[in-house]
Amino acid sequence: MVRLEFHDPSGAIEVTQAHAARVAALASKRVGFVSNEQWQAYRMLPLLKGLLEADFPGIEVLPIDAFPQGNAVIGSEETAALVKASGVDAVVIGNAA
Amino acid sequence: MTNAVAGLGLAPDAAMVTFPIEMFLPGSDIGPVRARKQEFYDGLTRWRSSLAGAGAGEPPMLRVEGTSVEDTFARANHLMLANRWGDGLPLWPPTRERVDWILRGTAEARGRRLGTFPPRGGVTTVESCAIALAMAGGRPEYLPVLAAAVEAFLDPESGSETLQAASGSAFPVVIVNGPIGARIRLNAGFGCLGPDPQRPAGASIGRALRLLQQNLGGALPGIGTMANYGGLRHTNVVFAEDEASLPAGWTPHGTERHGFPSGTSSISLAFANGAANIRRRGAKKETPEEDARQGMHRMADFMRVPNMAGLAGYEHGTPGILMIPGVVAQTMVGLGWTKASIREFLWEHSRIPAEALRRAGGPAWIEIDTSKVVRESLVLDPWPITAQPENFVIVVAGGGHPTNSYWLQGYSPGVVGRRIEPPAAFESLLAEAERDLGPA
Repeated sequence: MVRLEFHDPSGAIEVTQAHAARVAALASKRVGFVSNEQWQAYRMLPLLKGLLEADFPGIEVLPIDAFPQGNAVIGSEETAALVKASGVDAVVIGNAA
Repeated sequence: MTNAVAGLGLAPDAAMVTFPIEMFLPGSDIGPVRARKQEFYDGLTRWRSSLAGAGAGEPPMLRVEGTSVEDTFARANHLMLANRWGDGLPLWPPTRERVDWILRGTAEARGRRLGTFPPRGGVTTVESCAIALAMAGGRPEYLPVLAAAVEAFLDPESGSETLQAASGSAFPVVIVNGPIGARIRLNAGFGCLGPDPQRPAGASIGRALRLLQQNLGGALPGIGTMANYGGLRHTNVVFAEDEASLPAGWTPHGTERHGFPSGTSSISLAFANGAANIRRRGAKKETPEEDARQGMHRMADFMRVPNMAGLAGYEHGTPGILMIPGVVAQTMVGLGWTKASIREFLWEHSRIPAEALRRAGGPAWIEIDTSKVVRESLVLDPWPITAQPENFVIVVAGGGHPTNSYWLQGYSPGVVGRRIEPPAAFESLLAEAERDLGPA
């Protein structure tokens, strides 16, 4: 038999931060949207906002434009700070394609 | 995109609800959002990351066994393709011996970290480069060029974080200046963008960069990169400027764009999304002046297109890389043209009339751009394709023949330069290449 040993070329992935904790339930929670305004987000996110409001008593879903919109700004530290300052319990980010 | 969040330091999973592309098109039926609302709710409540750990772990070595050398080599290649690490062409298995041999091309520690490759976030080291170069059939003397190109690629100024995943099929263009190009057999002349057994360095270096984009960066077509066409990605574009053919008074590209002293071995990295050969030479009894001017108009005509992806480099990057043969550059200088006047001409004559821009929907893209300079350019009629003439990259390359020039259309937020740092023992590597490959 001929044996060959070689490096795995996919390398390592470094995990430095965990994902945000999930909320236990959505009733009476405050939810925000961060939109890049692309890929029909202007239709899909309002639909999802309405569904959340209909399905969970006491939920407060912020307007879709509560935070800066557009690819250019949604990834910025400023937008992240605004989201944190808003006191939302959860955030939905859309849309990618 | 199933792994992009790893590039942000997060575990390579995330709570996502994905749909077929049809729902994201204008006028689509968005009913599936309603039908699958529970998945959104679960993502906000019940979802848990499957990767709880932190830190980086090196993957183990891989082992294959076969009944013969040929069988073992085939099994290794099958394993790499099955794991999505290949490109369809034969790969040299990156054995410890092979990678250690490649690492003779650097004085750097093998574990020196160069960054993380977007979007997947694979930790990128000097050894990662050597592994990719080994797979791509490379040699030790290519490693300093590849390492410099990778550093430039990972520089945020290059825009690679976006371009790696975007649909626009951007590919890196690596221009090498200085003596190292000829010494490692990197092509600057005829066929410099294609394979060349006499000057094989460009294909290996470019292929290695592509393997890094894919294997560390996760840029798998349709999964990690939405590049519709992925043009020129087998070997990307790696060539040397033909400095021996530069007209008097022209500085090498690395000096002009990045300020490296003339004679410095360096790379310059930009991104392009298109490539066009331009029949530059006249066909009848043109005077030298007419021949030059008509050729310039023809080049500008190729540039006068609504390349909305080019907005990414409108202010600080480049609208593209124009390659012209040395004989053409020398002739034009003899007629009184300078590199600056060539750029001015191209900038002026590639401007797009506002009406043409409007009917192509260009203003909408300009209005939403992040750059104030881009947004404010909308008042200009005709509209210049880049903020200033200096943004055009002009390099001399392509052999001693006057008929064609070549336009690599830009999709390049920046043009990033790096010095190339060969090891002290570089001469012995070149001597080995002479022994292995014959006289250069």
